[in-house]
Amino acid sequence: MAATENIYLPKVAVLDRVSDDIPEVRTFYWHFEDAAEQAQFKRFRPGQFAQVSLFGVGEFPASLPPSPTEDETFFTIREVGSCTAALHELKPGDKFAVRGPYGNGFSMEEYYGKNLVFVAGGIGLIPLRSCIVYALNHRDKYQRIQIFYGSKTPQELMYLPNLREWQQSAGVECYLTVDRAADSWSGNVGVVGSLFKKPGVQVPVDNTIAFVCGPPIMFRFVIKDLLAMGFREGDIVSTLERYMKCGVGKCGHCCIGVAYVCVDGPVFTYGQIKKLGEDI
Amino acid sequence: MKARMIEREDVLKIVDLLRRQGYEVIAPFSGRGRDTWFDTVTDENRNRIQVHLPNPYYAPKRFLLPHIERLMKVRRDNGEIKIEPTYREPKRAIFGIRSCDLAGIWHLDRFYLGRDFRDVYYDKRRKNFFLVNVVCTDPEHDIGEECFCPCADTGPAARDRFDLQVMDLGDEYMVVAGTSAGEALFAEPMFRNATEAHVEKRHAILGEVRKRFKTTTSWFPATVRYVSQGNILEKTWEEIGNRCLECGGCTYVCPACTCFTVSDRQVGPDEIERVRIWDACALSGFTRMAGGFNPRRAVHDRRNRRFFRKLAHYFIQRELSMACVGCGRCAAVCHGDVGMPSVVEMIRRATAANDKIQLV
Repeated sequence: MAATENIYLPKVAVLDRVSDDIPEVRTFYWHFEDAAEQAQFKRFRPGQFAQVSLFGVGEFPASLPPSPTEDETFFTIREVGSCTAALHELKPGDKFAVRGPYGNGFSMEEYYGKNLVFVAGGIGLIPLRSCIVYALNHRDKYQRIQIFYGSKTPQELMYLPNLREWQQSAGVECYLTVDRAADSWSGNVGVVGSLFKKPGVQVPVDNTIAFVCGPPIMFRFVIKDLLAMGFREGDIVSTLERYMKCGVGKCGHCCIGVAYVCVDGPVFTYGQIKKLGEDI
Repeated sequence: MKARMIEREDVLKIVDLLRRQGYEVIAPFSGRGRDTWFDTVTDENRNRIQVHLPNPYYAPKRFLLPHIERLMKVRRDNGEIKIEPTYREPKRAIFGIRSCDLAGIWHLDRFYLGRDFRDVYYDKRRKNFFLVNVVCTDPEHDIGEECFCPCADTGPAARDRFDLQVMDLGDEYMVVAGTSAGEALFAEPMFRNATEAHVEKRHAILGEVRKRFKTTTSWFPATVRYVSQGNILEKTWEEIGNRCLECGGCTYVCPACTCFTVSDRQVGPDEIERVRIWDACALSGFTRMAGGFNPRRAVHDRRNRRFFRKLAHYFIQRELSMACVGCGRCAAVCHGDVGMPSVVEMIRRATAANDKIQLV
């Protein structure tokens, strides 16, 4: 990195289109105004994140749901605070700014030859989507690929077109569940962990990496289930969310235990997370 | 390092020399009682500069890391966004920076300029910075109740990281050059050669000064070990947390604290500026995310954070520098008496009291 480079300077991005996902959550397709910047950014790894600027409101960290193997760059964002609300107001053609990618990301190359088990709850699918698409685009590099995904209601299942595609794909086992549903839902009802015990489901434990992302309560129960199945703490990986102001290890907000989540994470193994000693 | 001598009444001529070379010189001044501060030297206040005085609570860190610093200006024009970074590279010198604060600047250097990401704003301010360290030798004026630099191994006389170091030997001052920029000033005729006797006198004075410190935290290394190994009882952290009033004062005066927040503010109809502002991990909103989830809820979690960050071996090794320099400011400003020296003592005592002795 050049000594004169300004690590806090975002680059102008253009919003191409917006799609509604589930209530309060939208996907924003965008590109950098500068083509060279776009090419540079596209080298991100699954699990990394970017800082999104809405000038006059502020800046926030956002997961990168696309896989670097896909053409488009996009964010999937829930409207939860002032910055995300400002992003939700933008119309195609409007400009904002982005810098990144930051963080360690998942070591997808290290997992070559292994089984991959993805367990997601609610919008926890957003960061995992990147890994899933990446793995499916490198299908011959991995053994079995399983996806276990749950949301509160059928209306809150993220990335529905992707889910349908994964359910129909021969190379991946995709199991869905919801906490509660009307009669029109023919799938499983129950927490994500209930899927592991369904007849016909066999989760590989040996030579397997489990990716877990979701709300804190789901995380705790799924970890318990996985450990009971025989998963080692080092083979369970997740990404942490923290309040961040800089993304480059300077502002101090995301520092927990001995780690700055922005530069040492956001991807950690469960073994590491346990040692950091804070709520998930 | 080369040393020269200067007449007692000539010591402020170093300030004049730097001012003639185009430096904005910052020096310590004193008012009534304990009130002391750093300020820019002018023709008007030059003769009121104090060489011996209690170290100002508002650390000189702010001349490198301003309390509020503008990072960029952003203009909107017909749907276009123009982002313009705003840099400041003043040619500045501090005359009279204490050894502890010098170690603080070294820590900032390691933190902001080390590792993968360099902070360009800090870098530009640091580049033209000239540091004249004054050794604390006067037990009445220089050494405060809370000072513990001998324990943090940063003072009373800094060993390096200064351009010039000035030390009061009684009749005259010894001036040591720490860099070639400092040594270049020795060309001035007011600097005379030093002798072996001067060096001996320096050592003798420093030996005496070390005995005049009122606060010692000789358990520092033990505490670093306990913190690093995670051998501190939750109730000890709770006890420390219960005494914290969450005022953020300790981080505000700390010469080695680095955390900041970033904020946008409107400065014109189509113009905003993005600034960074000092922040403090003791404050409850420090880790609160949008939506309200706060992974660090109890106050002792946050207290714990600050001391863990400063005492854990992992971070000391990461920066090759410790984020506590022994200036004692946190102890002086804390209403709950949980400054660094008392925390070190509380941790050591609690750990010692935890011996499991079985009577058989």
